[in-house]
Amino acid sequence: MSASGFEAFLAKIYVDEGARVRFLSDPSGEATKAGLTTQEVEAVERIDRVGLELMSKSLERKRMKRSRTRSGAVARLLRRA
Amino acid sequence: MSDRFGLGWRPALAAGILSNLDKIDLVEVIADDFFHAAKRERRALRTLASQTAVTLHGVSLGMASAVPVDSRRLDKMARLCGEVGPVSWSEHLAFVRGGGIEIGHLAAPPRTSATIDGTLANLARARTIVGFAPQVENVATLIDPPGSDRDEATWIAEIIREAKSDLLLDLHNLYANALNFQFDPFAFIARLPAERIAAIHLAGGKWIGANGARRLLDDHLHDVPDPVYDLLAAVGERATRSLTVILERDGDFPAIDCLMDQLERARQALAQGRLRLACKKGEAATA
Repeated sequence: MSASGFEAFLAKIYVDEGARVRFLSDPSGEATKAGLTTQEVEAVERIDRVGLELMSKSLERKRMKRSRTRSGAVARLLRRA
Repeated sequence: MSDRFGLGWRPALAAGILSNLDKIDLVEVIADDFFHAAKRERRALRTLASQTAVTLHGVSLGMASAVPVDSRRLDKMARLCGEVGPVSWSEHLAFVRGGGIEIGHLAAPPRTSATIDGTLANLARARTIVGFAPQVENVATLIDPPGSDRDEATWIAEIIREAKSDLLLDLHNLYANALNFQFDPFAFIARLPAERIAAIHLAGGKWIGANGARRLLDDHLHDVPDPVYDLLAAVGERATRSLTVILERDGDFPAIDCLMDQLERARQALAQGRLRLACKKGEAATA
């Protein structure tokens, strides 16, 4: 797989909880299915699991915060209308 | 050396910043906040830029990626730079999307030749489209980037040497990574090309995770911790040019005086480092 494909795979397991759960239960199987090279499969098999869990939680919190901010902005606009 | 000290512009800090412009040399504005801003907001930014020096900071270009940066985003940055006339602009050494998925934050890419090549190509495009090169910033990461075949200092040094780019060295990002992945941040600073260090970010963070699996999160919601000032002094001992130092605070805002105190501590730390360098040079000259 290309370097951009590897980045796409990482983006998916960072952001998509379902993909992350499937990956953590079978890292090499999921990585192979995604088309990663042998070297890349080996790299994700050794993934920093603590970091992956903390990072995904942190990203989730940021998304929720952003979503609340947007909802607030929409509510303000509606009140103005 | 005439170093400059400033704050990250946030709407909640606006009144405090404007009432302290005599003690602030410049402000850093998040460029992406103005890409789709209304005319009056952009006019307000131009007014701000007429009162103090402004540097523009990008957060969504995804410069450190094997994927080419979207030229429409670069066009927006170019237009904003044209309107505001910043003293500099900067972007992170991070990827922010992949395979159509927006990560929603700055992610450290695998540290490989492929991401170095991609970053160099992106920096060249950015320089061409915007008209001048961005400073590039090291990022904090909670995860050790999978697939890396070299350490962070090596990866960054290769990029800034090859691209001839200036480095915006975020010392809290460095501090957090050093604690999270057990390396010496002072040795890291010593391995960077000193002549390329142009700007500094200072911020704070907090520990997250359970015992035995804790990491320091760079959240910009806390005061600058003491060791980060020590790192700033260490940079002052090596930096060969004037530096721009920006204090970033994104929320849980304290009184503006508290931020001004942190900026003053930064002035003292950098001056201390510069003095140490001058003493060393003096000793070498008399030896």
